[in-house]
Amino acid sequence: MSDLKGLARAAQIYRGRHERAKEIKAGGGKVAGYFCCYPPLELMTSLDYMPLRILGDMNEPLTEADTYLPTAMCCFYRSVLDTAMKGRFDFIDAFIGAHACDGAERVSYIWKSYLKSPCSFYLDVPHTNHAASIELFKKQLMYLGEELEKTAGKKANREMLKQAVALHNKQRSLVRRLYSLNKGDPPLMSGSEILQVLIAIMCIPAVEGNALLEEVIEEVKVRAGGPKQRKGRILVWGSLIDDIALTGLIEDCGLNIVIDDTAIGTRSFWVDVDETEDPFDGLAIRYLDKVVCPRTFRDTKQTRMEDLDNRFGYLKKMVKEWNVNGVYFNIIRNCDIHGYEIPELRDYLEGIGLPVLVIEQDYSTTALEPLRTRFQAFAENIG
Amino acid sequence: MFFAGIDIGSTITKVVIKNEEGILVSTAQPTGAEHRRLAHEVIKGALKKAGLTFDQIDFIVATGYGRINVPFADAQVSEITCHMRGVSWLFPGVSTVIDIGGQDCKGIKVAGGRMRNFIMNDKCAAGTGRFLEVISDTLGLKLEDIGEISLRSDNPAGVSKTCTIFAEQEVLLRLSEGVSVEDILAGLHKALAGRIHSMVSKIKIEKDVVITGGGAKNAGLCKYLEERIGFPVLIPSEPLITGALGASILAQEMAAKTSADEQVKKERKLEAVTFFDKED
Repeated sequence: MSDLKGLARAAQIYRGRHERAKEIKAGGGKVAGYFCCYPPLELMTSLDYMPLRILGDMNEPLTEADTYLPTAMCCFYRSVLDTAMKGRFDFIDAFIGAHACDGAERVSYIWKSYLKSPCSFYLDVPHTNHAASIELFKKQLMYLGEELEKTAGKKANREMLKQAVALHNKQRSLVRRLYSLNKGDPPLMSGSEILQVLIAIMCIPAVEGNALLEEVIEEVKVRAGGPKQRKGRILVWGSLIDDIALTGLIEDCGLNIVIDDTAIGTRSFWVDVDETEDPFDGLAIRYLDKVVCPRTFRDTKQTRMEDLDNRFGYLKKMVKEWNVNGVYFNIIRNCDIHGYEIPELRDYLEGIGLPVLVIEQDYSTTALEPLRTRFQAFAENIG
Repeated sequence: MFFAGIDIGSTITKVVIKNEEGILVSTAQPTGAEHRRLAHEVIKGALKKAGLTFDQIDFIVATGYGRINVPFADAQVSEITCHMRGVSWLFPGVSTVIDIGGQDCKGIKVAGGRMRNFIMNDKCAAGTGRFLEVISDTLGLKLEDIGEISLRSDNPAGVSKTCTIFAEQEVLLRLSEGVSVEDILAGLHKALAGRIHSMVSKIKIEKDVVITGGGAKNAGLCKYLEERIGFPVLIPSEPLITGALGASILAQEMAAKTSADEQVKKERKLEAVTFFDKED
């Protein structure tokens, strides 16, 4: 274990993302790697699996993945498979793929065929939030639990699952408190710092993650020398950013990232799991219905405006609470799910007076510098 | 007071020196690896033309790809903002700026002198000056002549590719089929105009449209672009310098905001960029 605390510890874990997982494994524990926001962490935690979010690597050139995947597919999931084929996740005891998007689905199947984790499960996530879909998803979660039990060598009863729900709900409320520190101007944390903390807690057990979050909150609350006041207070919307090279570039151009709606940010933490009589009910509703991502279709309303409000009203709320004056759409090249959402969301946000910057990027740190001009031009004309 | 804007583009470096009355001098010369490194030489040339010394300049704004290589600049501003400002000064009614540079192409939407939106292509040479350079090389012609030559055609050849590399192959194919150089050039300019038009259309092309950059000096390209847009476009008399002009206008504004104390000639040094060989 490290002597570092708070932000310094988060940065350390961020740099060596798999170190803690490997330590736990060396001590006889088990690690479950999972895709995106959909596999319930509670199922893993309750069976003493440490949940480890599987991410790609913007610094690693793609050399292996294109043998298995079309180049027209999302660069992030190509990178995930690329690093996996190079052995980066060989140590995990369980792999939980998910139909978060078509890219994740393809990679889940290829992973099952070529990378032999002791336990391998593909979570079918329906694309609507209808009652029948939630019922189906609940069944899927029960299968996942059974599959994990086989290799965990133990069974999780309702009580254990309820405890895990409480533990992860605590984590969610701590993350929300962390973000609330950015409501003032200047914000107390930079986008890069928040990203490091969130990736860190996705790479350590929940109990340790909660302790780390508490340390960071105490440290940041009283800090002097956080981010400088900048002209732009922006919201980042999109699939995800998992490297501080990108958040650093954005902030270097005169924009403070104060809040986000991305899969490594608020989307993973914004809503709690309800403590239902049957824990699987609460899990199914939370993970399918309450995680808001354009990958899940929601019924349209009577008028276009009602429809837009129904889909994006939560962003309007965020904009108000965090005093946002511009929005950056981070589109990873070939991400259809977010790409198709651009025109409507752009219209909606511009309609409430917010400038929007859309960049389709290649998920590679070497391709970042040419984006500087765009971020700078956006910053120069904001506010 | 005197203000300078220096725009280090991928292909050409431009300098504008102005005072409160207007533009005093403007220069444009090839950037090249050495000039990017020697921004101080570029501004010396412009100063000489204006009959000024370096110390007389009150504020310098650098822009363009090479803006970080200008150690003596007081501020750096993106070329998108600078083009928008330069063009708005020349044409106050502008709504859409199409800047066709050496290695990128931009569309900028302006309303009331403020930037509302922009789009740019810098991933590939299609739709940029580089496309024209490659084609003129392939045909053994001078870059500055090909636009005029294309206008002589009344039967533009069909060119399906806008990828620079494939278009080059297609040119060779058409030549072997006996198609005239005028018709081939007309076809290529048409294809290039189509590519630029469809990119800029994403931000909605509205009157007045101003075309700037090296591409604006090509009459063939402007003609086909105008045809696609469907109404007349405006072209500045010096289309290369709008970025540097915008930078000099911003220099003037920034100087006005800087207090007299701060202005006491910031220890600016007119010297070469050295970070390229820092490890020595």
